[in-house]
Amino acid sequence: MKYDVVVVGGGPAGSVTARFAAEGGAKVLVIERRKEIGVPVLCGEGISKKIDSWGMLDSRNWISREMDGARIYSPNKTMVKLSAEKAGNETGYVIHRDLFDQELARKAMRAGAEYMMNTKAVGLIKEDGRIKGVKAMHFNEKLEIEADIVVGADGVESNVGKWAGIDTTLKPNDIESCLQYTLANVDCEDPFTDFFLGKKIAPGGYIWVFPKGKDVANVGIGVLGSLSRPGLAKKLLDDFIKSDPRLRKGQPLRVLAGAVPVSLPIKTVKDNLILVGDAARQVDPLTGGGLTHCLEVGKIAGEVVAEAVNEQNFSEEFLMKYERMWKERIGKKLERNYKVKELMLDLDDKTLDKFADSLKDYNFDEFSTKGLIKALVKKHPSLFVKLIPLVKG
Amino acid sequence: MVRHKAKVNREVCLSCGGCIAICNQDAIRMVEGKAYVNDSACIGCGICINFCPVGAIEKVDAV
Repeated sequence: MKYDVVVVGGGPAGSVTARFAAEGGAKVLVIERRKEIGVPVLCGEGISKKIDSWGMLDSRNWISREMDGARIYSPNKTMVKLSAEKAGNETGYVIHRDLFDQELARKAMRAGAEYMMNTKAVGLIKEDGRIKGVKAMHFNEKLEIEADIVVGADGVESNVGKWAGIDTTLKPNDIESCLQYTLANVDCEDPFTDFFLGKKIAPGGYIWVFPKGKDVANVGIGVLGSLSRPGLAKKLLDDFIKSDPRLRKGQPLRVLAGAVPVSLPIKTVKDNLILVGDAARQVDPLTGGGLTHCLEVGKIAGEVVAEAVNEQNFSEEFLMKYERMWKERIGKKLERNYKVKELMLDLDDKTLDKFADSLKDYNFDEFSTKGLIKALVKKHPSLFVKLIPLVKG
Repeated sequence: MVRHKAKVNREVCLSCGGCIAICNQDAIRMVEGKAYVNDSACIGCGICINFCPVGAIEKVDAV
């Protein structure tokens, strides 16, 4: 079995990479260990509307509900509102991740990529130190898939990266311990994504309420690994749900645990192997959001990979073009938000309340974390001297 | 001295993979869809135990 490119993992990053590699003329195989693309859903299912302008998805069936904005609640429940009317129309959607992933996979298939399900990568084929492909189990059949380029899109576990010798291990302060329920019978009339901050609510993270409909919402929590204790995420989330009148009567349609990388960018190219998506830690360390990055970075990865195939140049030097390009696109934002994440850890609940109070009637000119930071700098120049360099440029 | 190891309760594990990403000994992998700790690689540091969002990992005495 010989391909130009083998992609390990059929999530958004893997499928978008596969699509653009195939469109560029490469013979691509995607292997997926699960039995259905996008299932089980492992995600809060929020995404920015800016993806609309990228034209990567045709159907709209993956949209569960359109949002009017976001509300951030400080520990004493002071609310800061970022709404479409105040900050332009770039808000977000709450989506059906299973349908979303399947749409991206269909696009890759239409471009000519092949998929194999129930196929688990178990190692790399190496010859004289050179990566020659992927060893996999397809049902109970052992496969050796030869390929000129290997793409690791295998999520937070990032085994492919480890096999290639890239240090993908996340330190406890660089990973969020997450739990989420999809709750029915809740009362979420307003189309707003809600974020709840506080050391007692979610240490080193936050609780989110993303309404998929008026009576259904994803309600989840992220706790920073270094502040986590066994089962703490579940305990804090259960307590929160009991305390919130909108959610108290909610019943779970789904429960999922998750691990979200919130680290600085890592090395993503080793010889003829590249990493994309969560495996490459291409996640916003402040919000834990990674879905838009998968689309942006996957396109870059696919195009560079196709170029490598067309030129038959599979050197690390050539593939580093991918790393330079993705870092140019989102690297600065990731580094800035990592610093903000670290600063946030030093803030006590009273300071957060004070910040929220000063921003509660603010007119944001930008619907983003950058817009929030800018506003904070404006309101608290002395306290936020540290943040000023982070919003320049 | 009693040495400790991490052990995953398969009934509780929700397969998020966080323990695999956080283990600096590369001692955990998915076996039949659930996290599994390789005893001979585990050093009993407890990092995965504290991380687990549902408390599915316990400290047990090494045999």
